[in-house]
This record gives sequence, C-alpha cells and structure tokens, in this order.
Amino acid sequence: MELLPQALTDGILLGGIYITIAIAFSLTYGVMHVIDFAVGEWIMFGAFTGFYLNKWTGLDPFLFLPVIFVLYFGIGYAIQPVIHRVLSGTKGNPFLMGLVFTFGLAIMFRGLALTVFGFYSNSIPSMFSEGSFNLDQLGITVTIPAVRLVGLCYALAITAILHYLLKKTNFGLGVRALAQHKDAAGLMGVNSKRTGSYVYGIYVGISAMTGVLLGCILSIGAQMGNEYTIFAFFVVVLAGMGYLAGVPWAALLLGMVQSIFMIYFNPSHTLLAVFVILYVILLISPRGLFGKGV
Amino acid sequence: MKTTTGRGPAFLAFLAVALLVLPLVMHDTFVLRVLTEGIMWVGLAIAFDVIAGYTGYLNFGHGAFFGIGAYTIAVLMMQANLPFALALPAGGLAAGIVAFIAGVPTLRLKGAYFAIATWALSRAIQQLALNLDFTGGPDGMRLEAFLNPQFFYYLMLITVGLTFAILWYLLERAPFGLKLKAIREDEEGAKALGLNPTKLKMQAFILSALPTGILGGIYAYWITFIDPSSTLGDLVSDQAVVMVVFGGMGTLFGPALGAVLIFAFKTIFWAYLSDFQLLYLIILGALIAISVIFIPNGLWGTLVRRKADRPRPERAPAAVVAPEEGN
Amino acid sequence: MAEPILKVASLTKCFGGLTAVDDVSFQVAQGEIVGLIGPNGAGKTTLFNVISGYYAPTKGSVVFQGADIGGKPPYHLAGVGIGRTFQVVKPFAGLTVLENVVIASFLRHPKRADAERQAWQVLETTGLADRAHVSAAGLTLAGRKRLEISKALALEPSFLLLDEVVAGLNPTEADRTVELIMKLKEQGLTILIVEHIMRVIMNISDRLVVLNFGRKIAEGTPAEVCGDPQVIQAYLGEAAA
Repeated sequence: MELLPQALTDGILLGGIYITIAIAFSLTYGVMHVIDFAVGEWIMFGAFTGFYLNKWTGLDPFLFLPVIFVLYFGIGYAIQPVIHRVLSGTKGNPFLMGLVFTFGLAIMFRGLALTVFGFYSNSIPSMFSEGSFNLDQLGITVTIPAVRLVGLCYALAITAILHYLLKKTNFGLGVRALAQHKDAAGLMGVNSKRTGSYVYGIYVGISAMTGVLLGCILSIGAQMGNEYTIFAFFVVVLAGMGYLAGVPWAALLLGMVQSIFMIYFNPSHTLLAVFVILYVILLISPRGLFGKGV
Repeated sequence: MKTTTGRGPAFLAFLAVALLVLPLVMHDTFVLRVLTEGIMWVGLAIAFDVIAGYTGYLNFGHGAFFGIGAYTIAVLMMQANLPFALALPAGGLAAGIVAFIAGVPTLRLKGAYFAIATWALSRAIQQLALNLDFTGGPDGMRLEAFLNPQFFYYLMLITVGLTFAILWYLLERAPFGLKLKAIREDEEGAKALGLNPTKLKMQAFILSALPTGILGGIYAYWITFIDPSSTLGDLVSDQAVVMVVFGGMGTLFGPALGAVLIFAFKTIFWAYLSDFQLLYLIILGALIAISVIFIPNGLWGTLVRRKADRPRPERAPAAVVAPEEGN
Repeated sequence: MAEPILKVASLTKCFGGLTAVDDVSFQVAQGEIVGLIGPNGAGKTTLFNVISGYYAPTKGSVVFQGADIGGKPPYHLAGVGIGRTFQVVKPFAGLTVLENVVIASFLRHPKRADAERQAWQVLETTGLADRAHVSAAGLTLAGRKRLEISKALALEPSFLLLDEVVAGLNPTEADRTVELIMKLKEQGLTILIVEHIMRVIMNISDRLVVLNFGRKIAEGTPAEVCGDPQVIQAYLGEAAA
C-alpha cells in the first residue's frame, strides 16, 4: 500500500507523455479518417533516431528533440499524399484500404527496424537519467526520476503548443473544420490535401519525438512498436474516437495501469490488462468513457 | 464467380485429381511437406477473406485463431490425453468461441473498432500463451510425434477442400455471400432491406475462425512442436493479409491464388535467402502497400475485371413475360 | 373510416440540444399518396429516419398497421412492410444492378432462384431490366434512383417512403418516375413522399403535410395547402404572406 502513491506518480508522469501521442493520433483520425496502424512504428523510429544521434554526437537527446520533429515532420508530410490517394480511391472501400495500407506500412517498418537495428533492447542516455527528486509530504515519500519529469514537461509543452495551434490559429481552424465536415471545409477554401499533409506531418513528428522521450525513460527495441500502437488505440478508444478532450484522462489511466503493473504485478501482463479494459469499455460504452466518441 | 465457359470446372477437377493422386506418385517427402503447408495457407487465406473481403471487416489478428486451434489441440492431447480425432474439432470450436467473444462488443460498431480490437486481441493472446504455465510459456509445447507425411497431406487437402467447397456454396451460391457483400458496400442501407448486420457479421466472423482453428490444430500435430512465436506471432496474420489483398479480396479464387504465389515466394526466399529473413517481412509490408495503391482488387480481381469488360449478351429468364416498356 | 396504415402521434426527435422533429402528428390512409414538404432543414428526412427505424423517437409514437414500431430496427420494419429510399442514393457499388435487387428480394424469397426471379420482375417494372448485369456504380443518377426504388419494391412493401426520388432528374426522367409512382399507387401501395419539385408533388399527392423547423404547420389537399398563409410564409418569407 505504501507503494500506491509512487504508482500514481509514475502513472501521471508516464500518462502525460501518452497524452501527446494520443492527441496527435486522434487528430489524424479526425482529419484524415485513417487509423494509422504504424503509429507505434513512428514512435520506434523516433526513438532509434534519438539513440543513434545521441551515440554519434554525444549531445543530450532532449536537445535535439526539435531536430527529430522536423525530420519526421518532413517524412510524414512526404508520405501523406500516398495515404490521401488511397483514401480518395473510388474502388472498393477507401477507409478499409487505408487501414490495410497503414498496416502494410507498419509491417514494412517493423521489418526494416529488425533488419537494421536487430533484436536488442537499449535505452537512450541523457543528462537527466541519473537524477531524481524526492517528495516528502504528508508522510508519503515519492521518488520522481528527473528524466521522467523533464519528459513530462516536454510532452505537456508539445500538447500546449498543439492546443494553441488548433484553437488560436487560422491553420488550426482549418484543421478543425476539415475534421468536422470535409466537403464544407473544402468549399470554404481549406485545402484538404495540404492541410492533411501538415496534420500527418505534425502527427509523425510528435510521435517520433515522444519516442525519444520514451526511449530515455523506458527502453527502445525494434519490436516496441506493437506495444505503443496498442497503447495509442487504447487511449483513443477510451477517450472516444475523435474526441480530443477525453484524451488526457484516458492517457493518464493508461499510465496508471502500466505503473501499477510495473510495481505490483508482472509488467508483461500490462498488455493483457490493457486489452481487458479496452474490451470491457467496448462492451459497456463503445463511444468512450465520456460517450462522445464517433 | 460465374464461369461462362466449361473450362473453369474442368481445370478444377483436373487439379483436384492431380492433388489426390500426387502422394501415390511422388515419394519425395520434402515436396509433400511443402505442398501440405501450401494447401494449409490456401485454407487460411480463404477463411480470412470471409470476414475481410466479403464482409469488409478487417481482422488483422486472424492468426490468433490459428494459434488457438494449435494450442487447444496441444493442451487437450498432451494434458487431457484426448485422441487427435476428438481434439481437432475442439480446436476449431475454441477458435469459434473466441471469435464470438471478441465479436460481441466489436461487431455492432464500425469497422475501425473491429480492426483495432481484433488486432489487440491477437497480441494479448500471444502474451497469454507466453505467460501461462500450462501452455509451456515461451518454450512452447511438444506433442506426441506422429510422423506420417501422407496422412497429414491428405488431412490438410481434405480439410481445405471441404472448406473451399462449403465456402463456395455459402458465399457464391447461397444468399449469405451476397448479404455479406451488401453489408460491406453499405451497412446502413442494407438494414433497410431487411438485413441484420450484426448477426450476419458475427456469422461471417465465426465462419472465418472455425476452419482456421482446425488448420491450426492439424499444424500442431503435424509439426509436433508449437510455441507462441510460430503460431501466435505476427507472421500468420500478416501473411494472411498479404495473400488476400494481393490475391484479390471478396472472392475465393483471389486469396487462393495469393496464397499459392506468396507461399511459393516465401519457400524460395527462405530456401535461398535465409540470411535475409527479415527482408521477407519488409517485402510483405511493401507488397501490401503496393497492392493497395496499384491493384486494389488484387491480382485475381484485376484479371476478372479485364474479362468482364468484354461485352456479354444480356438475357432474362424465359419465365418472365415482359410487357415492352418504352425505353 | 378504415384504420390508417400509419399513425404518427406527437412525434418528437431531439439530438442533444437540437429538436429536429417537434410534436408532429398526422395519419396516412391505406392507398393514399401523402406528400411531405417543407423548406430545407425542416426535419423531413429525420422524420423518415424515425418512421423507418434508423432513429428512435424521443417522444411520441409511430403506429404502423396497428402496432407501435417506435425504436424497432430498420430490418424489422422491412419485414413488417415498410420500404424506403434514401435521399443520397448509395447503391451497392461493387455489385450488379440485379444483385442489388436480389438482396432485397431475399426478404420474401429466401431461396436464391425465387429471389432472382422476383428481382427480374421488379427490374422489368422499373425499367432497369436491360441493365441488370451492369455494375451499379456505372449507372447514371436516374438509373441509381430507379435502382433505389427497385430495391425498396423488391421488399414487397405495403408502405413506401420515397425520399426525393425525382430531384436531380431531367423532366423526361422525372415524368417516367412519376408514371412509376402512379402505377405503384394503382397496385395498392401507400406512399409517403418527400419532394422539392413542386409540380411533381402537387400533382401526385392526395394530401400534403407541411413541416417547418420540425413542426407541422399545415395539412390538407394541395389546393388547401397552397393557399395557407403560413406555408407561403415558410417558403417565401413574410412579405409574400
């Protein structure tokens, strides 16, 4: 029982990072109507890029996060037209084909990663890796590893920037319009292809950056994509698909579940627990915890 | 698939006879094993297409049914000492039950939820097998050795042949197939025509799971060794997806063709390029992506379309006496 | 007077804060053609969706042939005898015209051979028999609208909901559709039709029900409704009333 505050703290620290991925992922679904099965792979690639950049330059990974963002924004921006083409197809069911396409990408990326990086696990070292804070309040002692705290701060900053972008800029207005009604938005001058490219680029960039954060805090491995894809799905379905306001709560819940399993149970059961919760939610409240999903 | 000439059925008949007679003529067990596995993949692919191509609901974790069948057989035979003849149907049944359980919350929702949940389920089931004791954990399970390549060849052939025939009847002759396609094309509109989508989707899903579980069971007894990575890993699901997408969704011949081609490619690839096994994964993914972009109807679908574009004589059944409508 | 085939009583449908259908009541007698008109956004399609089972009523009731059908799913209602077309026509694009209709025929004819025979008959009635083996995606708009009607007819309904089956057609095609509708009425079908093309709906309807902002503002014969100041106001604004 004394470990519960620690579990909760860990959960918040981790969950905060998941918020960032999930918002970007949910946004992409809302705007492009594609569920990207490769989300975990983008996170994985970002993590490995961070690992190797750190290895070659010796620079702290937190410093080159923006570089990672720009690089992967570019990749996402370049790939999006292909996805758009698949989704605009007239043959068969475009949404289905979109799913299959991102699934194919995920397999390809996983194979690529395994080929290039092998099967080993690693972790990205950072100047924050060793430090930690101890909070002693009300008789409860909680250790906060510095790297997790900094990671959380970074993730929250990214979320805040994204929020500003969506709510306060014209670009964001276009994005939200597109998510609500593609044709009407098009008639108002919102270029769905270009906006979609930006959104997808932002999403890939954010995912990659978050990968670096997770690589510092947890570990990296060529197979990590699977797990994070499931996590992203979990958060998005729990929050309600397309309902961004529900994401923070669902992400925090995920962080809690993961932390509780790491501390109290077997960490490898986390995936099972995540699936069971997902299943139960789909049974009782398929539109998410708040009933506002699409 | 209406065959307008007599050549189609004749070719199939010839193929069936050839396959039946083969082990009597060919004594190379390596070739026999390769064919056995190839036939298995045909079965896996067509079963997958029932829910994926005909109904339009993508189950990226189809391999889980294969693994469930395999593990059910292994557990029943090794720990409950059941004979193979009883364990095998149980394997199929187990897969069907899991399909039902997974389908209840997800099939009444849109396809996105189904894709997510079924894929996550397959990952979770693999975790389960890795962590439970009675499934042998990461080391897997060994079955009693029963080495008889001819037996397994015929068993696989008959199972897949029966599956093909039953699916052919249900999907191409009986109303069921058309109803599934209606749901695929326009689920909401189909409701107005008297179709209950949730019920039909569930039937399709279970129908896709049953033969897959049985094939998994046969595989387990045939190979005598199963573990989470070979039977519950990504590869079975991923290959099923490639075979169906590349071959042609929404038909039976498409996935069969895709299965034959992809399996042939895999066999040759792993025989000569075994150092580059991971490259195979990349090729699989690339093949899916490329098929979606350039041949969304798959190989078979594209070939059939070419034939269909040639003009065909229109005909109405003689029983209908039609007053001339001013056209 | 015989029991009306459809009785809509105080029907209300809300979506969150939006009341799309507000306390609407009317009846349709057997064999009538009732036109449902009103400006855009008046709630006509929502009303259709409630009657055909896609939405459940928030308040009020829908009684069909004496039975309350509120909240019953569309596939149940098809069995009970309600057929409908959709405003945005969505044929089963990957299938042929014949296959599209056969799927509907399965409701009353579970065997494939019977269903196909009946489907051919429906296609003859609606004039699509010559395009039976064409992919539904290859039809023109007029063809697709006919296909919509064909599919609904294949259900052998006693009550037909037609949602803008004439909109978007050129005058010749429109006239042929009107002919078809009148032929269906002769065969005893009861029809509730939404249409914006005034000359069509005025000519074929026995009675009209007028909606505006979800409420019924008028009901009566076309002549009565045309002279109703509220109706004129709804369509043309204050000044014209």
